[in-house]
Amino acid sequence: METNGETKSQNAEHVLDHFHLFRQPQYLEMFERKKREFEDPACADEVEQIREWTKTKEYRDKNFAREAITINPAKACQPLGAIFAAVGFEGTLPFVHGSQGCVAYFRSHFSRHFKEPSGCVSSSMTEDAAVFGGLNNMIDGLANSYALYKPKMIAVSTTCMAEVIGDDLNSFIKNARDKGSVPQDFDVPFAHTPSFVGSHITGYDNMMKGILEYFWDGKAKTIAPLERKPNERINLIVGFDGNVVGNMRELRRILELMGGDYLIVSDNSDVWDTPADGTFRMYDGGTKLAEISEALHSKATISMQSFCTPKTLPYIQGKGQETVGLHYPIGVAATDQFLQEVSRLSGRPIPEALEKERGRLVDAIADSSAHIHGKRFAVYADPDVALGIAGFLLELGAEPAHILATNGDAAWEQKVRELLDHSPFGAGCQVYPGKDLWHMRSLLFTEPVDFLIGNTYAKYLERDTGTPLIRFGFPIFDRHHHHRFPVWGYQGGLNVLVRILDKIFDEMDRNTNVPAKSDYSFDIIR
Amino acid sequence: MSSVSEKVQAVFQEPGCAKNRAKSEKERKKGCTKQLQPGAAAGGCAFDGAKIALQPITDVVHLVHGPIACEGNSWDNRGSKSSDSHLYRMGFTTDIREMDVVYGGEKRLFRAIKEAIDRYDPPAIFVYQTCVPALIGDDIEAVCQAAKKQFGRPVVPVQSPGFAGSKNLGNKLAGEALLDHVIGTEEPSYTTPYDVNIIGEYNLAGELWQVQPLFDQLGIRILACISGNAKYREIASCHRAKATILVCSKAMINIARKMEERYGIPFFEGSFYGISDMSDALRNLAGLLVRQGAPGELLSKTELLIRREEQKAWEKLKVYQKRLAGKRVLLITGGVKSWSVVSALQEVGMEIVGTSVKKSTEEDKERIKKVMGEEAHMIEEMTPREMYRMLKEARADIMLSGGRSQFVALKAKMPWLDINQERHHAYAGYEGMVALVAEIDRALYNPVWQEVRLPAPWTEG
Repeated sequence: METNGETKSQNAEHVLDHFHLFRQPQYLEMFERKKREFEDPACADEVEQIREWTKTKEYRDKNFAREAITINPAKACQPLGAIFAAVGFEGTLPFVHGSQGCVAYFRSHFSRHFKEPSGCVSSSMTEDAAVFGGLNNMIDGLANSYALYKPKMIAVSTTCMAEVIGDDLNSFIKNARDKGSVPQDFDVPFAHTPSFVGSHITGYDNMMKGILEYFWDGKAKTIAPLERKPNERINLIVGFDGNVVGNMRELRRILELMGGDYLIVSDNSDVWDTPADGTFRMYDGGTKLAEISEALHSKATISMQSFCTPKTLPYIQGKGQETVGLHYPIGVAATDQFLQEVSRLSGRPIPEALEKERGRLVDAIADSSAHIHGKRFAVYADPDVALGIAGFLLELGAEPAHILATNGDAAWEQKVRELLDHSPFGAGCQVYPGKDLWHMRSLLFTEPVDFLIGNTYAKYLERDTGTPLIRFGFPIFDRHHHHRFPVWGYQGGLNVLVRILDKIFDEMDRNTNVPAKSDYSFDIIR
Repeated sequence: MSSVSEKVQAVFQEPGCAKNRAKSEKERKKGCTKQLQPGAAAGGCAFDGAKIALQPITDVVHLVHGPIACEGNSWDNRGSKSSDSHLYRMGFTTDIREMDVVYGGEKRLFRAIKEAIDRYDPPAIFVYQTCVPALIGDDIEAVCQAAKKQFGRPVVPVQSPGFAGSKNLGNKLAGEALLDHVIGTEEPSYTTPYDVNIIGEYNLAGELWQVQPLFDQLGIRILACISGNAKYREIASCHRAKATILVCSKAMINIARKMEERYGIPFFEGSFYGISDMSDALRNLAGLLVRQGAPGELLSKTELLIRREEQKAWEKLKVYQKRLAGKRVLLITGGVKSWSVVSALQEVGMEIVGTSVKKSTEEDKERIKKVMGEEAHMIEEMTPREMYRMLKEARADIMLSGGRSQFVALKAKMPWLDINQERHHAYAGYEGMVALVAEIDRALYNPVWQEVRLPAPWTEG
């Protein structure tokens, strides 16, 4: 490409792409004319004045007084989480009962984040179905998807549409089975996942509980409920996690080092990371269906993200298992806690190899401590992820200033406050449950921070407020392959540390790189 | 080669150096630095010393004549700042190869000088001799001479092959090069009774700029700083200064003394580190200038400035008293820094458990005794192993040292703060001392130290 978009104009011989096209003089002139003649624009001064006003405390107060409108939410809806949980099982096709548009969003969402195809179908409900109920869509849908995609299991969740008209999944699936859509003994667990309740983490919880209930409590009354025969195995439920690919492999490595018998219930790291070897895998890896039943007998279950399993974990506990709830362990102390729980439950000591990894992470933090110390951060993420990041920041001597979760609730707020109260570095930090990214915008203007941690959508905040962004969480659309790197465990902590440090040093370089102006501090050694 | 050994001997004979004077004739011949012990870890060589001493001269080409090792590993490796030219941060080397070793590298050097002048048009070129061309007998003095004649531009040979000795020796050889080829070769466009030279200040992390405003306020003009943020012309014409302050090191004492000898410029040793030391430096400099003919009012102006700045600094330090009182510091550094920061640290209530005196003079040691008492723990020579043990036994809460000891401190679970040449914060002057204390505070209170000192929770009990 020899195009110099700034100077050449568009013609058939020479077609410019969007990066350059509208910067051409004829377009600039046209925009100007259009604005002048047809748009009746406010004067530039006034626009500027309003823009500046949105940065003030006064605007912030009005912004926080918002009651009805959510602007730039940092959360997604239940079925997304339900699909996330469902694809973690062997050969499982997620089936969303409702309108197909929603499902297209979920698929693109996952594909854009994981850079993998994301198999998921809907019952494609239309206006007819909305009026007469979606039973026929369920019957046809299950039959078609069973025939087309040959799954080992179909996990059914719902969109709002089906929920509003009150479709009953249990009876619909039974009906479909009776009509021969799927064999009588084919597994079709289900969960109601209305988007107008909770967020994607709620959907994760509902689907996970739905699947366990289905397998443990008699497969929707088609067989006798299972009887628990306790063994020494430990279950792990990982929760909704944008870094799942890297984290699962790290988790397995850690557990292998620990020794003992473990079962990860729902592991979608393979299906979202299939190799380019000429084979298309619609399904890959995942927890075996037989293992779902076996999971009932395990000694205990660890949830890596408690706010992703508020119903699932008590349900498991009710079956007689011991349960442990964590919050997305990042860093030294959080990983310590995780390993100690595993050690306690399994009765196995933490091996020296892991202790060495711990020492290396501590060493790395110490090496770089001066650069992170006292830097102010704003963080938004899903509740557990925000807790994990906040804990790590405190460990590094950074000062979180704003911690926000659109899908966080009062219980989450309480948890974050407890965490902050344990460190002098948490003293000045505010917690914002239920707030959105437009709130965050006001926060960044009125109480600026050095760095912002958030997902891809935070790039608008970075642009508007000039706060450097460290991408973390889900979704990350505009940077590739972050999800392949673990953030859990000591190795994962190292990855997060490096990501933060890279940004700090990038900023340092960016602020010193103007030749003959600021480059007296543009150093090769940092 | 003979010129190198002559130079080395001349430097060893340096009468301005108290350490030298205390030696017998025979000892002096052996040199100032301890003979290296083969097989033991050692610091930089003479080339390194010469290069870092002169590299802060910003607008010249620093051309290293040697194989890639010398410059390839070291270009732009020092945080000495420039307010103008960045030529000094580029790496220039003749990168000599096997054939050059066989046939000699002089022609290649000559061509390299030509190319550097053609491309960068610098006011001067500094040519550094390294081990290999010195061994094969490349005569860089002759090449520089020829180049100077041919191109009509100063080409300064720096006789600093690594095998000549230590880094400290290299600093002095660099000084000799300036004395022989640069200083006194040009005239300043004008002079004032307030013109001074600063020798031994490298503007690391921009420290000169913390001190310069104080000078400006008093109307004192820095004719040349050797060599921080210096321009070739400034050094070439610095022989018209009225006084010299030699800071921070004995390394360049040969320049100060010989300039006194040749041009009658008196010098004194001072330090920009520490509050009272900064004040002493200003006071002595003003006194010296007045003795050299500057108006007497400079003295009262200086006192006024000192009083104001000291008050401001102590005020700022007060904040830290509560947090730092009783904390124990181990200082592993050299020369004047071994005592000059002590008083400021003591002022905020910190206890100095030991200070290294490896690179300090008898005078420095006296100063240490004065500020720390007769009991002062002076550490002559400290191997990493000993340092580790001392830190490990938790006889200190924090170590201040150069980058080389950093990792020893970290492995011994000890907070550490860089106060040598690779540091990123400037600690000179009044502001600098406040900054140092602030950094100590941050280092001490970083949560990672707690993490570092506690064993993994499962190993407890």
